[in-house]
Amino acid sequence: MNCESVTKIIPLYFYGELPPDEEDLLERHLDTCAACARQAESQRALSAALDRRAMQPSAALLAECRHDLMRAVYRQEVPILRGAGFSRGAAFSPRGTSVPRWLPSFGAWRMPLGASALLALGFIAARLTAPGAAGPFSFASLTPDNVVSSVRSVQPAHDGSQPGEVQIVLDETRRRVISGQLNDSNIQRLMLAAAHDENNPGVRWESVDLLKSHSDSSQVRELLLNRVAEDPNPGVRLKALDGLKAFTGDPEVRKVLAQVLADDDNPGVRIAAVDALTAHADDNMVGLLQGVVQKEDNTYVRRRCVKALQDMNASVGTF
Amino acid sequence: MAQDAAAAAGARLSPKLDEASLIRAVQRGDQDAFEQLVRAYDQSVLRLAVNLLRSQEDARDVFQEAFLRVFRSIDSFRFDCSFHTWLYRIVTNICLDYLRKRKVRKEEPAVVDTPEGPLDRMNDFEEEAAHADPERNLRNIQLGQRIEGALVGLTPRERMVFELRHYQGLRLRNIGEILGTSEEAAKNCLFRATQKMRAVLGDFQ
Repeated sequence: MNCESVTKIIPLYFYGELPPDEEDLLERHLDTCAACARQAESQRALSAALDRRAMQPSAALLAECRHDLMRAVYRQEVPILRGAGFSRGAAFSPRGTSVPRWLPSFGAWRMPLGASALLALGFIAARLTAPGAAGPFSFASLTPDNVVSSVRSVQPAHDGSQPGEVQIVLDETRRRVISGQLNDSNIQRLMLAAAHDENNPGVRWESVDLLKSHSDSSQVRELLLNRVAEDPNPGVRLKALDGLKAFTGDPEVRKVLAQVLADDDNPGVRIAAVDALTAHADDNMVGLLQGVVQKEDNTYVRRRCVKALQDMNASVGTF
Repeated sequence: MAQDAAAAAGARLSPKLDEASLIRAVQRGDQDAFEQLVRAYDQSVLRLAVNLLRSQEDARDVFQEAFLRVFRSIDSFRFDCSFHTWLYRIVTNICLDYLRKRKVRKEEPAVVDTPEGPLDRMNDFEEEAAHADPERNLRNIQLGQRIEGALVGLTPRERMVFELRHYQGLRLRNIGEILGTSEEAAKNCLFRATQKMRAVLGDFQ
């Protein structure tokens, strides 16, 4: 293997796309060739820079996309699905001008639809209440008394009312500001709930970040274990893992970290997990580490596992 | 692992229905099944579109167009490849069209100069664990400018392969299958993309 051929395969090595024998040859070359080792380091730096630029669409954008999609699907549905024996199609208007009968039972879409209704209501409220009633849309004007409204239901008014009269039922939420010490049990309870807010990763991240300084509390530790294993946002998972670093000797924590190392889809989280786990030598980890070495495609994680196995005088491969 | 986005999506499906049953239900016209199928993949589709196109508006359009195409043509899905591959063929074709059109009309930069200083138009998005101080923010903006410059220098296809491998974690063999090309061609594309970016980004750490 010469330097020219190494240059071509460094990106493949970095992304775990090389066959094992070629990878071995490359690693041997990197150990002896400073110029190629610098190229490998440059590839790693490029990757780290690009990782920092990774974007996660916001929950609000996803909700809007889902909402828009379902509206578009509904407009298209009659000509396509009626012929396919669609069981709920009887009430559909060809132009989508009436509310489809299935909409209220469309559970998972209800939240984005509700959010959209809220925005629409806010828009109307702003127009009705703003001085001059023609100014630009402003969220601040939606909640002059800290009340947020969403539409629960819309239906024709009861018998006896004027023709064209409708009844709109609103759910109203009042905003309150609560301050207190983190060690106050009521504050902590609210923070624990906020750390599970599935619609707002920013709130979860902040909550976990603040709570992790109280990881000596069993409830907080339970939360951190739950978030590191379950949270869909890798930033939150990393933050929770950070809060568990002082407990990497605890068997329960190690069990969860082992699961994260084996299953997490984010290499940054796996790197943090392997660092935390290998900080404490533990013979029970041998099987796990050997398994990770076999299937892991992140070079750093794999090397860390190999090193930990060597430190424990365990074999790297399985037989 | 990240490499298997299809498996990750599968894990998000309801345990009641496996993916094949779900697809057959959609083919029979079951709207709930369509919704479930969309939700298994829509986050990764939106993330791909956002990272690739670096525009919320375009990403929204791609999202809608892709899933509407799925909705319209799911009857033609014959299980001769995975649903993930079939869906990503649709999504990547739409994204490539967007990228090619942009090349023609010259790409809009994500970082624009304003009287108050450089403004990153992508700040509307959540960056992972992004709670930056001003200094870090400035560094991010500088880095953002250089990355945007590097990305603009890639062909749409190079950008797509890089995106699918680096951010979506797909294997090159799968990427070749999605883009209707060989694994070898995908490898070459990835090599060219990384070389070009290393040339532009240099020693930035």
